[in-house]
Amino acid sequence: MLKMHNVRKSFRTDTIETHALRDFSLEVKEGEFVSVTGPSGSGKTTFLNIAGLLETPTGGQYLLDSEDVSNLNDRQRSRLRNEKIGFIFQGFNLIPDLNLFDNIDVPLRYRGFNAKERRKRIEKVLEQVGLSARAKHLPAQLSGGQQQRVAIARALAGEPRFLLADEPTGNLDSLMARQVMELLEFINEWGTTIVMVTHDPELARRAHRNIQIVDGQVCDLRTLTEQPEAATA
Amino acid sequence: MLELQPMLSALWRNKVPALLISLQLALTLAIISNIVIIIQERIEKIGRPTGIAVEEIIAINVMAIPQDYDMIGAISADMDLLRKLPLVKDATVTNQVPLSQSGSAGTFYTQPNQKVGGENSNRYNTDPNFINTLGLKLVAGRNFTNTEMQYYDPSEIRDVNVAVITQQFAENIYPGQDPIGKPLYDGDSHPIEIIGVVERHLGAWVDWSKAGNVAFFPIARNTQDINYLVRAEPGKRDEVLKTLVEKLSERDPQRVIKTRILSEYVARSYAGDNLMVKVLSIVAATLSFIVALGIVGLTIFWINQRAKQIGVKRALGATRSNISRYFLVENSLIAVTGIALGSAAALIVNQYMVRDYSQPVLTLVPLSICALLVLVVSLTAALAPALRAANISPATATRSV
Ligand SMILES: Nc1ncnc2c1ncn2[C@@H]1O[C@H](COP(=O)(O)OP(=O)(O)O)[C@@H](O)[C@H]1O
Ligand SMILES: [Mg+2]
Repeated sequence: MLKMHNVRKSFRTDTIETHALRDFSLEVKEGEFVSVTGPSGSGKTTFLNIAGLLETPTGGQYLLDSEDVSNLNDRQRSRLRNEKIGFIFQGFNLIPDLNLFDNIDVPLRYRGFNAKERRKRIEKVLEQVGLSARAKHLPAQLSGGQQQRVAIARALAGEPRFLLADEPTGNLDSLMARQVMELLEFINEWGTTIVMVTHDPELARRAHRNIQIVDGQVCDLRTLTEQPEAATA
Repeated sequence: MLELQPMLSALWRNKVPALLISLQLALTLAIISNIVIIIQERIEKIGRPTGIAVEEIIAINVMAIPQDYDMIGAISADMDLLRKLPLVKDATVTNQVPLSQSGSAGTFYTQPNQKVGGENSNRYNTDPNFINTLGLKLVAGRNFTNTEMQYYDPSEIRDVNVAVITQQFAENIYPGQDPIGKPLYDGDSHPIEIIGVVERHLGAWVDWSKAGNVAFFPIARNTQDINYLVRAEPGKRDEVLKTLVEKLSERDPQRVIKTRILSEYVARSYAGDNLMVKVLSIVAATLSFIVALGIVGLTIFWINQRAKQIGVKRALGATRSNISRYFLVENSLIAVTGIALGSAAALIVNQYMVRDYSQPVLTLVPLSICALLVLVVSLTAALAPALRAANISPATATRSV
């Protein structure tokens, strides 16, 4: 599904050059649920951004579905993001001026679906996240957990094969965090590959596999199901 | 893909700034469209054909110093002199200089002793050379002959027998009829026969509602001062001008002689209109510029405010052009609202302008042109910020909180 080989990413400002990722290599298989942990500033978000085609790597190779995506133009990258990838952000990132229905509609419109198809999909995902009754509400009228469920619904509506989540529970209390996690696990069971950055060791442990990023590199790889005790970051 | 419905929802939630820009555009359209028709009217007025070879003509004012000066004699001698000068096409004598804002007028009737229902017209006392000198075009009948010329003292009252008039005056006083041979009366019982019609002569006063109604009479009176008009060969006017005063003074030094080119008189006559056009154009341009600045400011403000959601939209699959187009379409919606409001306002303002200040009526064509102009100004102003918005990185979605 995802294969990175010696990916590098550096940010150059006037004074310093930050190496956010260095010789970063990782493979994620179709259907996996991978959690990513690591200290703040270690490069987790940078990894997700590159994986999700939000940023381009400075060097190295990135294959998404065996396709080298390093040299795609903006239009092609936008299309891949829209069709293959779903995003869930820590801050939910719902569009405050649009109601839930229209928020979920955003990626579907870019996809070019007709109105009927979009409505069908929106109603389906709203149902899945248990917010059908709130379709006409504005994000501000919802709790954080509900907002994140809408964001997940938005990410799912296009039926992406690859879901990227950057601290999806970071702004939620533990009960809500658990609900969101259950939703993600459910989605994963239906076949969607998930990579989730988290600070919560309990949630990290619930993934199939946890990778640690330290200082821009994959530090340790272990399969949680095999060595559950050692997984605490 | 236009995203119209969500765009309208989002606009509705930000309606105050959107409405303010709409109103600003509306006001601009209301003002500019009324300005434009005034400008248009003035430009048309300035551009009206005068019927006169303005660029080739020099006006000469001759003022006799001695009280008992024989002006009649002087006129013949001066005409002989002027007409023989090299590069001079022709010369004529006239009581007033055309297009100079000074002239005389009278009321003429079709019936003897008629006192009401006459038609006003400029009147010039001149000689048979006026047609050739002014570059007029005789379209019917004939010119005066030298034998029809009457030279007399101002103290005398003499009846004039023939007149050449402009086509406009002919159509006004004898609508739908052949004017040749018809009489003009100036309030008494003596008929003045219309013997010729010239195509056009704008007369003395460019602002006059009857400008273009002109009658010419074969008269030269023995006044203290008189005007001559000299027509030079094309392009030779300035050369002729240089020696005129000298030549005339040489012939008879007992006069004060002043010359001025006719185009200068015309420029002075239209100075107010030209100034009006200039001032109003500046006002219109300034207004458009200010409203454009407002739109640039608002668009930049909105884009900065929405940088995060632009990043989110990019992350969810929006291309750069999706983003730019969104802001341009949004801008068009605001502009179209403003144009709708502005068109209504323009027509209402115009009604008052027509009624209270007798300004021209605002018709659909200038209004549409101004509306289009406002739309173009608005879109141009939004273009740069909208293109810049497309450069907001999709990573904004994950980077900023
Ligand atoms: N746009 C940027 N410009 C400069 N430095 C950046 C930028 N984005 C991230 N960085 C730096 O790259 C490093 C990795 O950042 P990030 O991937 O966000 O870490 P994490 O998500 O693990 O906290 C940090 O040192 C951060 O300061
Ligand atoms: Mg991060």
